[in-house]
Amino acid sequence: MTQITDLFRTVNNWIRGHRLRAAILALVLVFTAPWPARAQFVDPCCAMLAAGLASIQSALTSVVGGGLNQILGVDKSMQQFQQTVVWPQALINQARSLVGLLQGNFNQIQSLMRLRVNSATLPASQQLEQVLLSRSPNQIAQTSSAYVALYGPVPAPTEASTQVLNMVDMTDAAAQAAMKRAIEIDALADLELQAANQLNQSIQNAAPGSAPIIEAQADTWLIRANAYTQAATADLMRLRSVDLANASADIKMGATNTTSLRQALANLLQHQ
Amino acid sequence: MQVIVYAVFFATFGSLIVMVKDRRKLVAVTLTAVMVTTLVGGPQAAQAQSGILSGIQAVLKVINGIIQSGLTSINTVRAALSNLEQVVIWPLQLINQARAQVTQMIGQYRSLMSNIFHVNLKSATLPAPQAFEALVRDHQVNDFSGLTATFGNTYGLIPVATAANPTDRALSDMDDALALDNLKMLKASDQATDIELQSADSIENAASQAAPGSVPFLTATAIVSGIHSQALTQKMLAAELRQEAARLAHQNTLRKDNATNTTQLRGVLVNLLQHQ
Repeated sequence: MTQITDLFRTVNNWIRGHRLRAAILALVLVFTAPWPARAQFVDPCCAMLAAGLASIQSALTSVVGGGLNQILGVDKSMQQFQQTVVWPQALINQARSLVGLLQGNFNQIQSLMRLRVNSATLPASQQLEQVLLSRSPNQIAQTSSAYVALYGPVPAPTEASTQVLNMVDMTDAAAQAAMKRAIEIDALADLELQAANQLNQSIQNAAPGSAPIIEAQADTWLIRANAYTQAATADLMRLRSVDLANASADIKMGATNTTSLRQALANLLQHQ
Repeated sequence: MQVIVYAVFFATFGSLIVMVKDRRKLVAVTLTAVMVTTLVGGPQAAQAQSGILSGIQAVLKVINGIIQSGLTSINTVRAALSNLEQVVIWPLQLINQARAQVTQMIGQYRSLMSNIFHVNLKSATLPAPQAFEALVRDHQVNDFSGLTATFGNTYGLIPVATAANPTDRALSDMDDALALDNLKMLKASDQATDIELQSADSIENAASQAAPGSVPFLTATAIVSGIHSQALTQKMLAAELRQEAARLAHQNTLRKDNATNTTQLRGVLVNLLQHQ
């Protein structure tokens, strides 16, 4: 504290002794000291800044705001168009409810296809009929034994000519294959109905944007179903081909047998 | 920063004022200080004003240039998109036209086709076949026992065990069974066909009022209906396969019997000739 008092006393003495220098020092101190910022209201620089900001505000309002408003107008128009014309919620809900109603129709069709139609009365025919109407691929292996039990086996080699044996065997094979195919097709059709129901459930819960995906899958199922239908048609055609070939073979064998008989009669007459 | 510069400047100047001995040097130091102050502090304010002005002009230039042209471009694109949607992709006039066409085709074809489909095909003239035919074509599935009975009235019953050999009885029973199975299945499929036609009508009715956004539901369910229809066709084809296979098997059994009978006959004839 004493030192500070001594310092002030020394400075005071120096100022009194050097008044001119102290005055110059004070003036320089005043003129070179960093003063706080001047008030905006009276500064011309701030007036210019205010005018500039006003210009920016005006430009933002007219250029940016106007532009955005125009875009908003177009977007609102698009939104209204899409909501009322393209994707109206009411019609979407209506379509969904129709899908639900059609599910009832599909269920009815499925029930109709599961009706029991067995009609045979004798054991052998009942057994074969049960296998044929089983709609179970596991029963396919039972088809041949049930078939032979009803329609008989291929005759022994001593009981018929080779040509007849071949015909009989081929005909049995075609008939059994067709019966097996029928079981397969029944089972496949059941699975198709099941898948179709699943797809229809999905459609009820779909959005307009996801429904086409389900539609694409349904299309593939339809293609698959068409392929199975074609396979069944092919087997039907095979059966008819075998039938036609049998008819032709009967004519051929008849001709051969007639020639043989004529020859035998001629020989018999010559010996008499 | 400005305060530090000022402190350094003032300390230097203060030291010089204190240290100089004569008046000439004092004047020189004072003049130097004034000149330094003028040179360093003077032009700063003018420079600041120019920076603000050019900054404002730059901002205005950006707003009136890049932003304005950008917004104009966006607006142009959005307007073009809106135009594309309303004029090219989903023109309301063509949507209404399509709906009207669906309605028009419903009016043009539905009744006509329904009338053709429901033309009475019954042709039997005698009581038993008439009763049988009526049941065969009634599209009902709750009268299978009646169908079996009228089938028996028309085609006869399986011979009793004493009236025919076992093979003939079995063949006859199997033929009758498959014929009856198929007739029952066809009654069911007739009813299923009616339901399919109802579904088709419902989807077509909905299409006449649909919007582009609701159509995918109708298309998808129509395809699902197509799968059901295809499965039904397969069931019918399977039945036809069973029936055709049974018919072929029946003929083949007769061929087997013929072979056996011929062999037996040949043996009998050979024995007969040997005894003569």
